[in-house]
Amino acid sequence: MEMEKILGYGVILSLCVTFLALCVLIKRTLSFTTKREFAVPQGNWKKGVVYAFGKGMMPWEKESARKHIFTYFAGFLYHFGIFSALIILILTVFALPVTPWAVLPSKILIALGLLCGIGLFIKRILIDHMRQISCLDDYVANFLVDMFLVLSFLTMNSPGFRTILYISAIAMILYIPLGKIRHCFFFFYSRFLFGRFFGRRGVFHGKKVQMKV
Amino acid sequence: MAQTEEVKDKFEERLKNLSAEERQRILQSFKSKISSEYAAYLNTCAHCGLCADSCHYYLTSKEAKSIPAYKLALVTSVFKKAFDGVGQKLPNLLGGKDLSIPMIEEWVDSLFGRCTLCGRCTINCTMGINIPYLIRAARGALAEAGLVPPGLQSTVDTAVTKGNNMGIAKEDWLETVEWLEEELQQEVGDPEAKLPIDKKGARLLYTINPREAMFFPLSISAAGKVFYAAKADWTFSSENFDVTNYGLYNGDDEASGIMSGRLVQAMEELQCKELILAECGHGFNSNRWEAPEWLARKYGFPVSSILELLTRYIQGGQILLDPSKNEETVTLHDPCNLVRLGGIIEDQRFILRHAVKNFVEMYPNREKNFCCGGGGGQLAMTRFAQRRLEAGQIKADQIKKTGAKVVATPCHNCIDQLMELNKHYKLGIEIKTITEIVADALVLDTKG
Repeated sequence: MEMEKILGYGVILSLCVTFLALCVLIKRTLSFTTKREFAVPQGNWKKGVVYAFGKGMMPWEKESARKHIFTYFAGFLYHFGIFSALIILILTVFALPVTPWAVLPSKILIALGLLCGIGLFIKRILIDHMRQISCLDDYVANFLVDMFLVLSFLTMNSPGFRTILYISAIAMILYIPLGKIRHCFFFFYSRFLFGRFFGRRGVFHGKKVQMKV
Repeated sequence: MAQTEEVKDKFEERLKNLSAEERQRILQSFKSKISSEYAAYLNTCAHCGLCADSCHYYLTSKEAKSIPAYKLALVTSVFKKAFDGVGQKLPNLLGGKDLSIPMIEEWVDSLFGRCTLCGRCTINCTMGINIPYLIRAARGALAEAGLVPPGLQSTVDTAVTKGNNMGIAKEDWLETVEWLEEELQQEVGDPEAKLPIDKKGARLLYTINPREAMFFPLSISAAGKVFYAAKADWTFSSENFDVTNYGLYNGDDEASGIMSGRLVQAMEELQCKELILAECGHGFNSNRWEAPEWLARKYGFPVSSILELLTRYIQGGQILLDPSKNEETVTLHDPCNLVRLGGIIEDQRFILRHAVKNFVEMYPNREKNFCCGGGGGQLAMTRFAQRRLEAGQIKADQIKKTGAKVVATPCHNCIDQLMELNKHYKLGIEIKTITEIVADALVLDTKG
């Protein structure tokens, strides 16, 4: 019990360390030059941003998602599973109760996320072009997250796994600013920039030209 | 040919003998081109590989080297090893790599030779990473070290030193305009019809792609005829008429600024009200969107594509079109720089629906369209010509499926590539600019 408590503090400490490390990373990123935009916009950048986070993510809008629908949904489920497991982890560390009705959906999400994570891991190993665009970080990150999901699922069924879950969580959380998992933070900024770029240029919500009657 | 080989050999020799100091300079130059936005992008790619099928190079070759994520990783790996705290300490984990000579060779081969900077990968990227702009930054670093493939670099050099990318002398340009004016007068039956040069205070300054003056004078005549029909108050510049800017492709911001700055100078000297860009995809992206950033200034005048102007003419009734004059089925190829990166999407469709009898779309189209393979400076880099033609197969197939006999495209780079694809894939099509099609459909006021 004592070890579990210490590791619980370890999870909190690792979250703080990771938060600080991400702040440093963001500061470093922002230390590069900022460009002013002089060209007169044609479209509305805000509409572009809304598109980037909404319709622009949908498979009927994005060919890459449409063509690889299983990978696309696997990615979605993987991330939902991770976020569910993280919420459960935080509730557990702070000894907060999980609302009873949320237990089963969380278990399902974590289990599906895990299956998808393993599937994506296997895909990366088996497909030649996936191996060629991967580096060690891709495998380590996937492994750490999958382990975290396995242990989250097991702990929800049997609290005896909690100690090992905490160890796995600490390793994964501390890895966030080191490797590719940092994309979970940069994703939002990149997607925002994407929406702003194409929104300003009027690509997604550009002017409509009506036929002359 | 021998001279070309000699230039190529010199380039290879230079590449193989780069000193450590020179490589360090390339790295620093690369760093200077990285904005905070680019730095964020460089931290974002999760190597999901979903971008692969968005790239015409990958689709036609199935080589991993052509996957956008692979090309981006070439840039990211160098960035991580050189400028990322974790990447510097754990390069093996993050795939960080030195900017070694083999890496520079790979940059040249992949970033110049396997990318048209078309941006199709960006709209298909789960993260929305602006891959072409990162590739352009790396190209720019190579440009500062003189490592741009010779054909592309010489196009930029010619434009910077001679004022236009074909090196057309002022007197030759004036002579061309003179005989085109005579032809216009004959065609419209009006001896007063003009192709004005340096008309101070004209409302519109019209630019051209110098290839038009050299090889496609009919597209200049077509524009002149439309302006005549619309009774437009317009002019050419005798000095600064080049809409192109291959600095967009070699990544050299300084050279890009010089080229686009000339059009600003012409606007200010001639006191024109609106800059009208001829049908040129990269010329539009350069002068409409990028040039104000290269020159770090806001323009005091609007910059428009001639397509926008044609739309206004049709909507305002300044020109009348008879679609029955263009009976053949016409399809449209959307130039990446004008459409996906430029936001001119519906004007060309509006115009064609008024100017031709039967207009059919190719699929996918608009901002989702495939690049023809002629962008990114590919047409100037003979070393990658075979790859360019192979990558164009996607476009050839798109065209075949439409069954159209005429392909309209508002871009001279696209026209050149489509002409080669036409020959290579035996498409049996005719390729025209939008303005040429409009000129053919014009109903002229017989009173002049």
